[in-house]
Amino acid sequence: MSQMLSPDMTIAAEATAKAKIEVKNLNFYYGQSKALKDITLSLPERSVTAFIGPSGCGKSTLLRVFNRIYELYPKQTAEGQVLLDGQNVLDRSQDLNLLRTKIGMVFQKPTPFPMSIYENIAFGVRLYEKLSKSEMDGRVEQALKRAALWNEVKDKLNASGLSLSGGQQQRLCIARTVAVKPEVILLDEPASALDPLSTAKIEELIDELQADYTIVIVTHNMQQAARVSKQTAFMYLGELVEFDRTEKIFTSPREKRTQDYITGRFG
Amino acid sequence: MSAVQEALPAIRGSRDAIVRRFALTDSIFHGMTRAAAILVLVLLGGVAISLFAGSWQALSTFGFSFLTSESWNPVTEKFGALAPIYGTIITSAIAILIAVPLGIGIAIFLTELCPRPLRRPIGMAVELLAGIPSIIYGIWGLFVLAPFLQTTVQPFIIGVFHGIPGLNSLFAGPPYGIGLLTSSLILAIMVLPFITSITKDVFDTVPPVLKESAYGIGCTTWEVTRRVVIPYTRIGIMGGVMLGLGRALGETMAVTFVIGNAHRISTSLFAPATTISATIANEFTEAVGDLYTSSLVALGLILFVITFLILAIARYMLMRIDARTGA
Repeated sequence: MSQMLSPDMTIAAEATAKAKIEVKNLNFYYGQSKALKDITLSLPERSVTAFIGPSGCGKSTLLRVFNRIYELYPKQTAEGQVLLDGQNVLDRSQDLNLLRTKIGMVFQKPTPFPMSIYENIAFGVRLYEKLSKSEMDGRVEQALKRAALWNEVKDKLNASGLSLSGGQQQRLCIARTVAVKPEVILLDEPASALDPLSTAKIEELIDELQADYTIVIVTHNMQQAARVSKQTAFMYLGELVEFDRTEKIFTSPREKRTQDYITGRFG
Repeated sequence: MSAVQEALPAIRGSRDAIVRRFALTDSIFHGMTRAAAILVLVLLGGVAISLFAGSWQALSTFGFSFLTSESWNPVTEKFGALAPIYGTIITSAIAILIAVPLGIGIAIFLTELCPRPLRRPIGMAVELLAGIPSIIYGIWGLFVLAPFLQTTVQPFIIGVFHGIPGLNSLFAGPPYGIGLLTSSLILAIMVLPFITSITKDVFDTVPPVLKESAYGIGCTTWEVTRRVVIPYTRIGIMGGVMLGLGRALGETMAVTFVIGNAHRISTSLFAPATTISATIANEFTEAVGDLYTSSLVALGLILFVITFLILAIARYMLMRIDARTGA
């Protein structure tokens, strides 16, 4: 991979200062089958990086390595290094719960917890912080405002999280993730189950959040990747084919496979 | 072209016939399923009516005091159901108190923590418990569990709680081995597989991505289970508990063996007592007088009503929970 690094790629990384996450020679296995092949890339701090590629290319798998959520399942193993601020998160000694408070994740389908809207957010905060009632109220309000949901739910904070619409639920999940004050937010196709209006809201939100967070988004929707991200990684069959500034990937990709994919010739 | 046009009416005709045949078979199917559903109601009504008719003599003789009187005297033909009602409710309640935490604990272990190769053997073993006939629990309870409790556990507990007010009357009296607590323990073992397997099944219905999101904000397994998995599945868990409770209330054979069959109410959990079903099973053959028989049927009616009420209360509680969370 390193010999493929073009001057452009280093520029892309330098332009946004230091790297938040560095992936080095990462291999990933589902049982015997290899899902990620020698991935090396570096994600700059406080910016949005998109992973694109056809189904089964490993983009979600790569995302799931960052917070080691894959470890919930047997027979899934990762080799190599994933450095978060220089610390290898794949290290055995890494505390998983602590890691996951630093790296928040939002999934394809909205997953509100079976509790009230207020509790959905307060729950995660309460795990690691002791706040007074008023501080917690403030934190919940702030998180809901960040997720552009406050105005819609401020009068029914005690209603069940499940009573919201799909788009609202997804923003609730983002609010819940933001409330824990993570450093990195992983979004796994966050808008694929939503209508265009909700999608637009989520994208606006991503745009605002990148001022404070390092964001990684997996998406099937290339327009979405083009709209929201600064860097884009194109993956194919478990390999990282190309990683560059988003406008470069979408206007003058270096690789033929990238060109074919973004012009819709396959995938 | 013309051949096709000529054929059309013929096709239409045969299609109409098929449609008519479908309509006929459909209505037969409809009628049969409805009859099956009605049959259940008829059976339920029939049981209720015959219980009521059979118990009429006892109920009209003793009136309301049948429910409040503790005396059960076949010689003077004075019957009151309070002791069996008390025994039934207390043994079932203690059994559920013991079995619910255990059952949920086993289910959590099997679904969240257990190494995969051990999952099936342990799950099967728990379900095999449900397949053991109740007479075997009865024999085991009488010949193994009761003597064990009598010689070791009960004297120890009586000694420990001797001077403590409240607890000393709860665990008092000579250690007979058989009695309320022994029955409760047997019942707990008997309802455990129901509660465990239903809880395990509903835990498996929790979407993996929901658990992932909870782990994703830094929850431990305990927090995920306590705050996400159990609330998400509470209706199913309640269902399992109710099924277990229904079984505990009606269980006859095993309880008859170990409860001691004494028509009295004692505060001590070690004292012999009786339950509704144990009383009926024990005394039906020797019930000579009409009033005696009728009193036993009335006991059956009371058990029927208790079970019905408990199910109704459970339904009502679930409705309230749903209304509150707006789910």
